[in-house]
Amino acid sequence: MQAFSLTTFVRGLFLLLACCPLWLHAQEKTTGPDSRALFVEALTADNDRANEILQELAARGATEVRPLLEEWRAGGIYAFERADAQPLYVTLATTPAQEETSETYIRNVETDELVENADGDTLAVEKGDLDPLFPSRRLRRNLLQIVDLIALGSPEASERAEAAIALGLKGDAGYLTALQERREIEENGAVQDALDEGIALAQLSLGDRETKLEAVQRLDELNSIPALDRIRALQREATAEGSDWSAEDLAALQTAIHDLEGYLKWVDFFGTAFRGLSAGAVLLVVALGLAITFGLMGVINMAHGEMIALGAYTVYFVQQGMAAAFGPIGMEWYFPVAIPVAFLVSALAGLILERSVIQFLYKRPLESLLATWGVSWILQQAFKLLFGAQNKNVESPTWLLGNITVHDISLGYNRLFIIGFAILILVGTWLLLTKTPLGLCIRAVMQNPQMAASMGISTSRTRMATFAFGSGLAGLAGAFLSQIGSVGSGLGQTYIVDSFMVVVAGGVGNLLGTLYTALGIGVIDNTLQPFLGPVMGKICVLFAIILFLQWKPGGLFPARSRALD
Amino acid sequence: MNDLQASPARAELERPRQWILTIENLNKAFDGFQVIRDLNFYLDKGELRTIIGPNGAGKSTLLDMITGRTVPDSGTIEFGPDHRYNLTRLPEHRINRLGIARKFQSPSVYKEQTVYDNLLLSLPHSRGVFSALFYRESQEDRDRIHEVLQTIRLEDRKHELAGSLSHGQKQWLEIGMLLAQDPQLLLVDEPAAGMTDEETERTGELLISLEGKHSIIVIEHDMDFVRQIARKVTVLHQGSVLCEGPVDKVQSDPHVIEVYLGRKAGRPDPAAH
Amino acid sequence: MSTLTPASKDKNLWAIAVFVLIGAILLPLLNMGGVVAEFQLNTWGKYLCYATLAVSVNLLWGYTGLLSLGQALFFALGGYAFGMYLMLMIGEDPNYHTRLPDFMDFMGYQELPWHWQPFEHAWFAVAAVVLVPGIFALIFGFLAFRARIKGVYFSIITQTLTYAAALLFFRNEFTFGGNNGFTDFKEMFGLNLHAVSTQRGLFIASVLYLAACLLFNWWLTRTKFGKVQQAIRDSENRVRFSGYDTLQYKMLIFTAAAIIGGVGGALYVPQVGIINPNEMMPVKSLEAVVWVAVGGRGRLWGPVIGAILVNAIKSWATVQFPNYWLIMLGALFLFVVLFLPGGVASIPEQFRHWRKKMDARRQAPAEPMKAAEPVAEVETAKSST
Repeated sequence: MQAFSLTTFVRGLFLLLACCPLWLHAQEKTTGPDSRALFVEALTADNDRANEILQELAARGATEVRPLLEEWRAGGIYAFERADAQPLYVTLATTPAQEETSETYIRNVETDELVENADGDTLAVEKGDLDPLFPSRRLRRNLLQIVDLIALGSPEASERAEAAIALGLKGDAGYLTALQERREIEENGAVQDALDEGIALAQLSLGDRETKLEAVQRLDELNSIPALDRIRALQREATAEGSDWSAEDLAALQTAIHDLEGYLKWVDFFGTAFRGLSAGAVLLVVALGLAITFGLMGVINMAHGEMIALGAYTVYFVQQGMAAAFGPIGMEWYFPVAIPVAFLVSALAGLILERSVIQFLYKRPLESLLATWGVSWILQQAFKLLFGAQNKNVESPTWLLGNITVHDISLGYNRLFIIGFAILILVGTWLLLTKTPLGLCIRAVMQNPQMAASMGISTSRTRMATFAFGSGLAGLAGAFLSQIGSVGSGLGQTYIVDSFMVVVAGGVGNLLGTLYTALGIGVIDNTLQPFLGPVMGKICVLFAIILFLQWKPGGLFPARSRALD
Repeated sequence: MNDLQASPARAELERPRQWILTIENLNKAFDGFQVIRDLNFYLDKGELRTIIGPNGAGKSTLLDMITGRTVPDSGTIEFGPDHRYNLTRLPEHRINRLGIARKFQSPSVYKEQTVYDNLLLSLPHSRGVFSALFYRESQEDRDRIHEVLQTIRLEDRKHELAGSLSHGQKQWLEIGMLLAQDPQLLLVDEPAAGMTDEETERTGELLISLEGKHSIIVIEHDMDFVRQIARKVTVLHQGSVLCEGPVDKVQSDPHVIEVYLGRKAGRPDPAAH
Repeated sequence: MSTLTPASKDKNLWAIAVFVLIGAILLPLLNMGGVVAEFQLNTWGKYLCYATLAVSVNLLWGYTGLLSLGQALFFALGGYAFGMYLMLMIGEDPNYHTRLPDFMDFMGYQELPWHWQPFEHAWFAVAAVVLVPGIFALIFGFLAFRARIKGVYFSIITQTLTYAAALLFFRNEFTFGGNNGFTDFKEMFGLNLHAVSTQRGLFIASVLYLAACLLFNWWLTRTKFGKVQQAIRDSENRVRFSGYDTLQYKMLIFTAAAIIGGVGGALYVPQVGIINPNEMMPVKSLEAVVWVAVGGRGRLWGPVIGAILVNAIKSWATVQFPNYWLIMLGALFLFVVLFLPGGVASIPEQFRHWRKKMDARRQAPAEPMKAAEPVAEVETAKSST
């Protein structure tokens, strides 16, 4: 499983890198001003010319004018008469007041900018002063089609594929032709499949029985999930009274349904597994720091959540700083910089906490719990005072947005990234603990401090380093969480109960146990959620853990000691 | 030499009714490591037995299983005449109530209570929740506690907190707590650890004085101490009985010497621990 | 400590008597005379209820070494059980013409769910106040203690328990009012809840109840049970190997503590007029632990002093320094844990200890004073009382 996720992760990364230039290229091509200019020309042109332009736009796949086309059809494009010049074609834009007023801002169709007056202020006009443009009836029908078809010509492969399926489902003869035409020239393999699927879907509702059966067979081959409902409908029709379908044909339908249902189950299963895995990865990252400070050192650090929040805040400030210093490039690449910084900041905070409070309480675990809780209060309030009570939104770099779809399972890049990163951290921690001199010291001190001290290891310094490391891991967790939610002073609190449970249920002081329980809880939680809803799922998991500890009081991998108490 | 071996045949022969503790075919593994392997062990009523053995021989695990702290994988532990009680499935407090008391390796006393209260809590009655709620100290109890206090020579410190005692005194207090329970069988894990020579000797005398009235198993590393108290010694090795017999014979047994390899011939090194 | 002083000479017993005199007689009289305002009486009544929760935490943590981070759950359960009765006593709603609690009406219930019906009877509600927390604690205690979950694990498990319960109560489908919980109470045992006399009566009841809790606590520590309890705190295995079934002891004390807290919660609800799932959040239980730690754990009066002191500071500081109050509380807590493990109640003792040391030093040949630090510590802590 580790290997699977790692390779997927690496593949994802490569894919991302490969996509970057493509994406820039696509941007250039579609944002050219001429599509908008063409559209404006169509507004005033005669029917023939307008139709020509619409064909041209569809051929280009100029999806950015699609909303305009829809507006036009619905009468949402206005001519704004100016005294000294050509009329301006505009759409309405809401005023910032958001209230019911007769005034409105207007947006220039050609430039997509708000119209300003001579002084450079945004112009507000009376709605009554604007004349809507209505396309002719014939044009209206064409517009409807173009709106649907335009995505088929989009330079974005994913948009084309999506449109192919959507068009196929409409079951329109005109669209079928369009799909077939597009299929002739399409070069992208994935889109070809999608077009085939779309064509088959259309044939399912349009063709004769022969074609329908062929389509069913092809859809079965293509593992088309959207087709399932259609084929079921077809089966109902075919088995209805008075129908003359042969048993053989009916069997073919049944096979296709069976196959598709099996496929759907498979997709659901792996989809859930993937979501569970990524939820587990988040838990793992959050709990790993705790597994160090609590599991290895026996220190209950209730301020662990605040170390997480600190890491998340660090990411926020790094982002702000880099965006200010380097502009968009800073925005794009702040995250790799922020990760180590978050680690260091939280580690430093952990170091200070250890030196100032925890080092005095190693023999009194319950009291270290209480003292760190006092620290947690202080930090939470300090965050609020220093960084504001409002949650901060950290914008993810674009390469963490979006997803890849493998066999209808959508794998979000950020989730893939989290899984990969969780594994990296886990492996790193494991290597540190088992393969380095520091790890040897840590394990020695945690197992028998007196003996370690007599061997010349500074227990005090080792504990300090270990605690700082655990806190640093919390900072990394915070860096992550900043990518999947907003950052606030209470960020860590939401995870702290869960992560304590992970460590306890996994068996204290055992990284493998932490791994298993984190993933286990993530997967179970995600499996239960569809049936029980998010809250009940969580409650069930919590109670399940309490019951699990009945069965294995020491957790999955209990620590054994010879001491009496 | 032959009579030293704990051969099953001999065990069969010598199994009259007065065995107070009968352990047969006992096995226990932790994480696949066999700590106790087919162990057979018999203790006579009123006997004082010493168990020795190198580290990891399974001595403490054996006591853990007798007292119910660890559940064996297989085998039987029977207690009392007629093998009346099977201990393998009973919880700790039930085993204790049958009359088996244990002293731990590191002294385990109630540090934040007085010496007197430590003994009071060890008296073998009113141990249920409700009888404890409505318990009233009787003259009989007071006498019993003073008797024990005299035996362990802590009479003048009875109102002090147990936590303020020296290590040796804590060991004595714990032995006193065992005595207060008036058990049939005493399990004593390294009583001499951390004691001065004088204290050790007095401990030995105390244990010897208990012989006959109670059955006693002592685990010990200090060979001088073992020689002082030992009547019969059992040597454990890798979870089973290596040999059994009087202390001198055991010490000259070639198997034992082999087990304590590299030590002074015939004499298990006390520093082995 | 071991040789018991005769009950009549025990200072604690006198202190409880004085507390009852002042709380149950003097203060209500002063209130009737107009010297003490109603809202003050009400505030103090609230603090006294908190104090009973603190007493229950102390029974577990201070005397038995079981740090429960979910004790407020039982307080809230008691409050909810009594709140159900109070909700049903509101009577018919003038706008919606229904006897159902309004949240049920909104959720489309036509009649009371079965588990609500018996709460129309006061006796049932009173019994439920005792039984619901009690039975729940008994079951959970059995599960946790049988699995020998102890120390910090017990703390974490109890925290999880209260967190899960809070999540459950936050849900509307759970039929306990969701986020908003219960509020807008009107009547209790046929008395108008808004009447001064009723509130005064509730205050007196809180005083008497707290006194009863303290008396129970005092009595318990003097019995053999109390000694076993403390022995479990010191060395549970030794207790077990001395023939005690610690499972029973822990279950009993856990259940008793839950009931003490639950009844406290039932007294709390009519005085503050609201109960909602926030009372179950882990933070509330932790706050109760703070009271005990600040007051002095393992001491009879520690939790009472702590609950009143911390809450009094809280109500003052939240007004004076709304932004810094949490920081102050955290710092106070940190200070107590690090420098004053015995809590405020231990200050006189420490002071005596220090005086003795100073006397000894004065008699000894002059030695450089190096005890400046502990002196300052004791004094600052004292001035805060």
